[in-house]
Formats: sequence, structure tokens, C-alpha cells
Amino acid sequence: MELAIDVRDLKKSFGDFEALKGASFKVDENEVFGLIGPNGAGKTTTLRILGTLISPTSGVAEVFGHEVVKEADAVRRILSYLPEDAGAYQYLSGEEYLRFMAGFYASKKETVEEMVQAGRDISGLGDRLKDRVNGYSKGMKRRLLLARALMIKPKLAILDEPTSGLDVIQAYHVRGMIKDYAEGMGVTVLVSSHNMLEVEYLCNRVALINEGKIISEGTPEELKTRYNAVNLEQVFMEATQLG
Amino acid sequence: MGSFTSIVYKEIKELIRDPKILFGVVLLPLLLYPLMGQGLQIGQESVQTAIKGAKFSVYSDDAGNIAGILVQYITTNNTVTNIQASGLEDALVKFKDSDTVAMVYVPNGYSQNITNGLRGHVKIYGNLKNLNIAEASGVDVAGSLVSIYNYYYSLAIINQLMEVTGELGSAAVVHDPLSISYASIIKGNVIEVAPSQITSLIMSQSIMLPIMVMMMVIFAIQMAATSIALEKEQKTLETLMTLPVGRFTILGGKLAGSVVIAIAGSISYMIGFGYYTSSAFSFAPQFTSVDLTGAGIGIQPMGYLLLGIVMFVTLISALALAISLAVFADSVRSAQSLTGVLIVPLIIPAMILMFSDIEMLPPAVQWIMLAIPYTHTMLATKAAFLGNYWIIIRSIGYISVFTVIVLWIAAKIFSTERIITARFSSFSFRKRKLAPPR
Repeated sequence: MELAIDVRDLKKSFGDFEALKGASFKVDENEVFGLIGPNGAGKTTTLRILGTLISPTSGVAEVFGHEVVKEADAVRRILSYLPEDAGAYQYLSGEEYLRFMAGFYASKKETVEEMVQAGRDISGLGDRLKDRVNGYSKGMKRRLLLARALMIKPKLAILDEPTSGLDVIQAYHVRGMIKDYAEGMGVTVLVSSHNMLEVEYLCNRVALINEGKIISEGTPEELKTRYNAVNLEQVFMEATQLG
Repeated sequence: MGSFTSIVYKEIKELIRDPKILFGVVLLPLLLYPLMGQGLQIGQESVQTAIKGAKFSVYSDDAGNIAGILVQYITTNNTVTNIQASGLEDALVKFKDSDTVAMVYVPNGYSQNITNGLRGHVKIYGNLKNLNIAEASGVDVAGSLVSIYNYYYSLAIINQLMEVTGELGSAAVVHDPLSISYASIIKGNVIEVAPSQITSLIMSQSIMLPIMVMMMVIFAIQMAATSIALEKEQKTLETLMTLPVGRFTILGGKLAGSVVIAIAGSISYMIGFGYYTSSAFSFAPQFTSVDLTGAGIGIQPMGYLLLGIVMFVTLISALALAISLAVFADSVRSAQSLTGVLIVPLIIPAMILMFSDIEMLPPAVQWIMLAIPYTHTMLATKAAFLGNYWIIIRSIGYISVFTVIVLWIAAKIFSTERIITARFSSFSFRKRKLAPPR
């Protein structure tokens, strides 16, 4: 099995602030991997480096063997990144937005339309896709964005806080979309969340990140056994010795 | 559709569907300027109507025949109230309470003076009730009436003297023995048009052209800044930057989309402004009566071509500059306040070149002006009008070099993480030092 993500001793500073202090972890192909930690732990910084948005101060980050800084173009062709508070173009309809995005991954019209159809199916927004995005609720926007990220069948999908700001029902739908897609399509998914229960539901393996460092890694069951905890929330508290 | 055209298409759609942009940039000039022109026209017409219907008064303290002839001349030509009063003060009270705008006062001694070969003095009072142009113009009409009388009365006196002395000729020639006509030499051609008429025509053009250039570039700056700031405000930029498309393609697509909207805005501005000038200045026929194309003044096809290139490079440079700055803004509002700085180097040369020539300025000011690329755009528009193509080519060269440098900077900013991390907020820069991503 190929290694989807290989992060080694990754460091990133913003001025005097060290956001990452030597994080290392590996993600296998077809795995749904969760990066969990509190706000400010370094999750988004890690995902942004893997998404080719920012460069690390030092260390190595590879996606399917491609180094994210030197081979950014190759990485961008195989990944799909959903930022935490991402938005969509207000004055395009949902369908126009999906078509615009699909155009970057396919040159043939038929392939573009196949992707748009996949986006329609994943989003489940039906006829509302004909409406402009500025009329969408937060949950509808998130479903559209998730559909955009998954419709292109990426080798790696990076989802930063996919259910952030959504109510219980919307969050339930979005989690269902991710789980169904990951199981059905065999795509590698890297999810970041501070919702430990969500990660436990979605992920095959989990890494706990705190203050820029990976403090523990394993399957949810392994972690619970290791820390003698009933859920990942308790695991995190034990691992950070806060509990 | 390729990535570039796809971005351009999306940009145009987004900008055109934004009601603020559609209304502010495309529709407002089409509505505002014609309305302004119409307002000015209505104002001017009402002034003219008021002048035509202006009523005068006349009061004479002189009982002599010569004064009587003047009063009779004034009263037969207009709707004039002949004020009967015990003295000037009484006459002025009656004039103040009347609906007349001017009173011609003939003081005692007027006839005596003329009989003695001295000047007869006449005084005109204006009744400024509302302090408006129509009142002042009405007073001028009364003055003109007296001046016409003065001219013909002078001719009559000359005629009398000529008869007595037996001189031959015409009284009008004795009154004005010289006549003057004007001609101008332009580019080696003598044309029978007064220099003042030519300069006033060129002035009208050199005021119009810098305004148009300034407006077009301001539109372009607003478009580009809004386009980038919208991406940041709507949180779409991060996604865009992870797509398999070159950063330069994104930059180029955004520039091109903004250029299209800026051109649409400029066209609507020009249509609106054209309507404004045609309606606002319709009362002044001399404004458009001089046709100097035969003398080589006017924009020729080559001039139009070069002017088009100047406009294009100017637009690109302004857009690249706006985008480079807007990268540091995280909302449309902060982008507009940031790019507002760019309007200063546009307004200053436009204002200065509207009323003077670059050569007339002190050398230090000239150099400062020439360092601003948009000065060259405005110089080129004037040069196109006069057919000085080398100046236009020089302008194209300077603006192009400036544009390449700015584009290079914009591309550099786009290719680094600064586009994601840099922030401008409340007039201070910060690079997410205090609030880094998690």
C-alpha cells in the first residue's frame, strides 16, 4: 500500500510564534485519518502546508511521494482541500460553482459534466443548485463545498473542520456524506477537528496534536486502551495531562 | 474552456451580478451625468428666460431735452417703469419695492454736461432680492441698453461735427478707425481662426480627456481591489490557491475580468458624460462651432491606435497595482480604503494638467509629475490630439516598464504564502503574528 501522507519533523513559525514544533505522522492510502486538537494546536497550519498554501519553516511534507513545496503543482492535481471557513462565490449558482471548479480538473466537456453530476449527487441539494449561493443557508453552503471537494475524485481529500458552525442535523448529514464517500470511493481523507466524537465516528486512525506537536497516534480503540479512556475526549485530556 | 478563460468568465459573471458594481460602475454614470446635464440645462434655460423677461425702471432728475431723449429710448424699447419720485432716495424706495431688476438713474446735470461737451453720467442700480445670476444678468442687460444708446448717440454727434466741418467719410469709421482680425499658425499652416478659439477648444479637450482617463483608471482599481477582496471576504481564495492552476493564470484571469468591467464602466461613463456636455453646454453654441480637423488638430487613426495602447497599458498597470495592494486587505471595505491611496497620484496630475502644461511647471514639479505613470497617460491624450506621436510612444514605453515591474511584484506576492497570511486591518499591517492559524 502506498503512503498517502508523510510528514517529518515539520516546523512552521509566524514571526516569533511557533505554530508547529516538529510534527511527524504518516497516513496510508485509502485511510480516513483524523488530526485532533484544541484551537491553536497547529491543525490548520499542518493542513495548509499539505494543501500547498503555505511553506514549512523546516521539515518535510509529502503527498503520494510528491514534496509539497518543490512539487506543488503535482500535489495540487491529486488533492482537494476544503478550508475550515471556506465560502463559495455568492453571485454564481451552486451548479455554476461546481462547473467552474470542475473545469480546473478536466478539459473534456463530458468529464466536466460527469464531475458536476457527482457533485449534484454528493451535495443532495437537488433543484436548489440552480439558485445563487447567496441564498443558501450555512449548511447548504457546506454541503456544496464538500461536494466540490469530493466530486473530482481526488487521491487525497483534506477537510478542515468539515462540520464547523453547523447545527446537529446539518453536521450529521455532512459526516454521513464524508463516511459514505470515503468508504465507497476508497479515497484517502485527512480530517481535522476539535470535535473528538466526530473524529471517532469518521476516522480509521487519529493523531492528537497539541501546541504544535503530535502527542499520540493510533486507531481510536488503541488510543482509548492506551489511556484507559471511554472516548477520544478523555484520551486527549489524559494525553495532554490536563485531565 | 481553459483555466484562464474559465477564471475570466467567472470574474465577469461575479462582478456584473454584484448589484453594487453593476449600479455603481455601469448604471450610475448612465443615469447621473444625463441628470446632472439636464439639471444644468434647466437652470441655464430658466436664467435665460428670466433675463428675457427682465423688467427695468428709469428715474431722471434731469428735466433737460437730452436726458428726455435717453429716457424715451429706454422706455420705448422695453417694459420699463418710469418712476415718478420727489428725489433719488424716494425713487430708490419705489424701485426696491417694484418687480424690476435694474433702475437707470439719470442725475441732474446730465443734459448740461453733454451740451458743454463733457460726459453725461448715468448710474444703474441693481435690485438684488435673491442674489441670483438672473438678477445680475438683468442689470447687465440694462447696461448694454445704455451702451447701445451711447454708441448711436456718439455716431449722431460725429455726424453733426462732420457736417459742420465738411469732413467726408462715415461716422462709424471715425468712431472705430481700426478693425482687427485674427489668424493662427499651427504646424506651419495659417488658418483663419483666432488663437483664443483654438486654445479654448484644446482646453475643453484637455479638461475632458484627463477626467476620462482618471475615471477609467479609478474604475479599474476598484474592480481589481473588489475582485481580490471579495475572494478574501467570501473565503474563496484559499480554495482557489489549491487548485491545479498557475498563480499567474489566476492573476491574469482576475486582471482580464476587471479590465472588461472597467471598459464597460468607462464606456458608460463616456456616454453619460457626452450626454452631460451636450445638454449642459447646449446654450453655448461657440463651444463646438470650431472645426479644426482641416488644420491637423484632432485625433487621427494612428493617434486613436496609439491612444488605445496607452489606455490598455495604463489599465493593466493600475490593475496590477490595485491587486498587489488588495492582497493585504481582508474585506472589500479595507481594500477600498487601501487602494484609495492610489487615487492621489491620479488626481494630482489630472488636476494640474487640466489647467496648465507640463512645460510651464517648475523643473522639480515636472520631474515628480513625470515619475507618476498616469501623468504620461494624460500627456499622451493631449499629444494624440496634436499628432505628436513620439510623446505617445514614450508614454507607452514608460508605462509598460512600470507595468512589468508592478506585474512582477504582483506575481511574486501571488506565488508566496503572503496572499494567504498578510492582513491589512484598521490601517495597520499584521502578518497573523498574533492570531496564527491553528
